[in-house]
Amino acid sequence: MNQSLLFNSPEEVKIGLGRQQYIASDEIATIIYLSQQLGKPLLTEGPAGVGKTELAKAVAGATGRELIRLQCYEGLDETKALYEWEYAKQLLYTQLLRDKLQETLNGSKNLAEAADRLAAEEDVFFSMRFLLQRPLLKAILNELPTVLLIDEIDRADAEFEAFLLEVLSDFQVSVPELGTLMAIHRPLVVLTSNNTRELSEALKRRCLYLFIEYPSIEQEMAVVRLKVPELAPKLAKQAVDMVQNLRKMDLRKSPSISETLDWAKALVTLNVKQIDDTTLETTLSILLKHESDLQKAKRSLMQSNRRQSGEIDDPRLRGWRN
Amino acid sequence: MEERIIKFIAALRTAGVRISLAESADAFNAVDHLGIHDRENFRISLCSTLVKDSSHLPIFEELFPLFFDFPQSMPQMDLSDEMSPEEAHMMADALHRFKEQLREMLDRLIRGDPLSQEELDRLGQLIGLTEVNDMRYREWLVQRMEKALRFREVQQAVQELMELLAEMGMNQERIEQLRKMLRNNQQALADQLRNYAGMRIAANMSKTPPGNNLEYIFNRPLQTLSENDLEMLRKEVRRLAAALRTRIALRQKRAKNGKLDAKATIRANIKHGSVPFDLKHKNNTLKPKIVVICDVSTSMRPCSELMLSLLYAIQDQISRTFSFAFIDHLEYISPDFHVKEARDAVNYILQKMPPGHYNTDLGTSLQNFTENYLYTVDNRSTFIVVGDGRNNYNDPRRDLFFTISRRANRTIWLNPEPPSLWGTGDSDMLNYAGYCDSIFQVGTLAQLTAAVDVLLTS
Repeated sequence: MNQSLLFNSPEEVKIGLGRQQYIASDEIATIIYLSQQLGKPLLTEGPAGVGKTELAKAVAGATGRELIRLQCYEGLDETKALYEWEYAKQLLYTQLLRDKLQETLNGSKNLAEAADRLAAEEDVFFSMRFLLQRPLLKAILNELPTVLLIDEIDRADAEFEAFLLEVLSDFQVSVPELGTLMAIHRPLVVLTSNNTRELSEALKRRCLYLFIEYPSIEQEMAVVRLKVPELAPKLAKQAVDMVQNLRKMDLRKSPSISETLDWAKALVTLNVKQIDDTTLETTLSILLKHESDLQKAKRSLMQSNRRQSGEIDDPRLRGWRN
Repeated sequence: MEERIIKFIAALRTAGVRISLAESADAFNAVDHLGIHDRENFRISLCSTLVKDSSHLPIFEELFPLFFDFPQSMPQMDLSDEMSPEEAHMMADALHRFKEQLREMLDRLIRGDPLSQEELDRLGQLIGLTEVNDMRYREWLVQRMEKALRFREVQQAVQELMELLAEMGMNQERIEQLRKMLRNNQQALADQLRNYAGMRIAANMSKTPPGNNLEYIFNRPLQTLSENDLEMLRKEVRRLAAALRTRIALRQKRAKNGKLDAKATIRANIKHGSVPFDLKHKNNTLKPKIVVICDVSTSMRPCSELMLSLLYAIQDQISRTFSFAFIDHLEYISPDFHVKEARDAVNYILQKMPPGHYNTDLGTSLQNFTENYLYTVDNRSTFIVVGDGRNNYNDPRRDLFFTISRRANRTIWLNPEPPSLWGTGDSDMLNYAGYCDSIFQVGTLAQLTAAVDVLLTS
């Protein structure tokens, strides 16, 4: 697709994302629409695995734009995020072009003139040819409109955030040797953060803010049915119920949607007919990634077993009894 | 409408949400795009442009309906329409037996009249609603208004009224029905009061100029702060930490410009044919390693809590932190801080400590420390004690303190008491003072910040 689509209303966003197998709530759709209309970056926060990155991918898919992704990490700096001069290539070219350079410099009367002549050719070595484009610059200079995903911005250092400000507010980049490079098309920017540290006010001010929570039962059910259609509806309901109940427990890391999906896929692969204790025993580690969480979940499962003879009505455990 | 939005923004600011001019301009832009016809879209456009912190979302959700929803109290039922002439007569008869004031109120309930604006205003003035600009007082104010309207007595009166009607021979089922209707009417009145209180407070909030008493809180002794002030301080600590972090990061970066590191430079420039484009320098500064022991007894709690939250907010400038809390014995608390905020973590620690009467005992705590955690202190670490050095005449265990301070690179004591009080009463401060490299008096947040600044950069 050559021409990039733009959304005309929040409803269109919702339908568009739906086609990309992303179930968006009204809130998400409206904010995406606003972000596109106002030309502002979108900052999404929320627990890990609720589909923040997935959202950016879906937006790229729905608008037919290329997705450019910048994964942040501690120690990320301009040379990795924006651009870098390709020293090795410059060096190689000077070596190979030595004769040509000699020719240019031949016949110069003194050193000053030679230096002047060399300076006149300097542009050759500091041109786009030798500029190694990193994701941010790539997104700005792309001929076609793009979606720029800056993933897990909270992992990058605070200084890097400050450096992002120029890019995010004006969509331009200053390269000292070349001048200011303006965006050809304004990219749609999505930033994600897991909230491991407070982001700076200045960055937040330039963005629209979207907080994505864990989904409701109905939403999660819809996602599971959409992404893992092989799973029987009844089983899917049980699985989702159980995950939702696990989230209510005091765990170090609650299971996210992506983990629910992994689990659902595991249930299909193992050809499970119903969720019983043995299945849980073997597959619970797909949902819970901490030993202490596992123990806690298993303990509450055991308790339910011990009381199985009597009448029990623990809403947390309804999911794994039939 | 615009004026309403501006007032709403002002109220949000008063409630502690930081909103810049650019953000309010964004809000108007967003509203231009989506219009105000659809309430949900309108709410989302304001929310996504104004609120940039998930902890502020509840404030937004509470204030939004107060500004943009018309008060819709439950439709009240007029009981007199329902009653047959016979029943109405009985009712009037029964009502006569009550005192004047109660009768008025009962009458209103039976007729199902909502309070008029004028009545509400009068009521508000009576209980001092005009002064309040904090949502936390809402429920309390509603209770006061209910009291002024004698809700409790009226409820009793309704009970009595029903008994009277029963005596007069009204059908039991019918009485039950009437009672239910009366209760609904009263509930509707309570809702109306609640709404009114919320709106008045919100209106007051939007009139309050943005607070500027920070300066004053900054320099007040920590012990004398109210819970409200502390809340404000906590917010301030977060902002402060950000400022501190950049300052420290900058200094650590500058400190990197040490000697040329020949080995690293050669290695880095192999790809350029060993032409040294890219110079590497030796990095002599090490991020500090911190071991902190905090007194969390009642008198020291605000100081310790703020200190800990400050420390954990600038975690990325510190290579490792081990924190311990003590009252009469020592608890290792670092793991709690990774999942909780300082205040919750401190509360959680207090719950973990067995109940009973506490006497601050640093001596025993130091013994716990040397027995179990001495390995955390090495020649790179800074050992910090936050406490007033008041030991309740227990053994101060100077020997242990000496052992620890010898192992550590630096020993620092943060004490909220002024030096003139050291050594008075049960204070063992002077006993410890000799082993400390530096002692800071941290009576106020300003002093605490200065101390942390020095601690991380020198």
